[in-house]
Amino acid sequence: MTPDEIASHLTEATGAIERSEVAHGEVSVWVPNDKWVEVATHLRDCGRCHFDFPTFLTAVDMEDQGFEIVLHMYSVRRQHHVNVKTQVARDAARLPTLSGVWNGMNWCERETWELFGVDFIGHPNLVKLLLPVEFEGFPLRKDFLLMTREAKEWPGMKEPAEVEH
Amino acid sequence: MGLTDKVNFPQPAKFILNWGRKYSLWVMNFGLACCAIELIAASTSRHDFIRLGVIPVAHGPRQADMLVVAGTLTDKMAPALKRVYEQIPEPKYVISFGSCSNCGGPFWDSYSVTKGVDQIVPVDVYVPGCPPRPEALLEGILLLQERIGKESLKEHYARREVAEPEPAFTSTVPIVVGGGSITDTSIRDE
Repeated sequence: MTPDEIASHLTEATGAIERSEVAHGEVSVWVPNDKWVEVATHLRDCGRCHFDFPTFLTAVDMEDQGFEIVLHMYSVRRQHHVNVKTQVARDAARLPTLSGVWNGMNWCERETWELFGVDFIGHPNLVKLLLPVEFEGFPLRKDFLLMTREAKEWPGMKEPAEVEH
Repeated sequence: MGLTDKVNFPQPAKFILNWGRKYSLWVMNFGLACCAIELIAASTSRHDFIRLGVIPVAHGPRQADMLVVAGTLTDKMAPALKRVYEQIPEPKYVISFGSCSNCGGPFWDSYSVTKGVDQIVPVDVYVPGCPPRPEALLEGILLLQERIGKESLKEHYARREVAEPEPAFTSTVPIVVGGGSITDTSIRDE
């Protein structure tokens, strides 16, 4: 299916799509939190979608607007992509787990949990994957303090964000 | 350690002993990132550090004389580095190879990278660069051999016993390839 066809198919079949957007030849669809697992199950089971390869799951820190959870999926058989997104509040960052839908989501969710502090309800083994066990804080949150920066000014000419590419 | 830590040998005996030691450096490759590739390149036929008496890839730390930390050390990996270092028998030497192991390099403000392996183990020679060319490692090895050739083992051991309990230290005045000192921030932050 083309990106537009995927968007209209999902809107009809699940009735849970808030909005959709096509960028870089891939479609992104936004779903509410309570339809997260339902939409994921549809993507796996529907014969037209046939999304058999969840590429990765991560979060984006949107600061005041909380976190956007991003799920990238690919269908090896149908050769099409979809990005499913949902927003969670910053002070109540939790979402039902997808590890019952795809086993591969288990590690992706552990990583998102330890780096962003997003809780995945029902996850079978929510323990640290990459960070040392004694590590405190969620390092990929934008309000995480980098100790080196606290101790010393950035020694370069420009901040990395100021460099024009 | 026998006599070597108790007696200052007369100059001819010291010369012979150090001459033997400096041209038989079994290297423990603690390769962590792309710098390790440059280290391997230095060991192969084009740059060939074997001609300087450096023998690549000891069978384990217990058979090694020299540790080369090449690459980005993370806080999670740091205990493993300490453990490998402690397994190497004295007298042992450490070369910190590349910006990451010198000071954290481009990962200077990362949440997970150790800013300099000298916080974990004492460093004898710093080789700056990102990554340094194999020639820079050859230069570092020559400088280290020069130091080994001059040193008194008795003083070496005495200094180690004093330095050992310190959490962050360097073994002695460290050498920086290309000149300069390690307190010079332009070299550390390169």
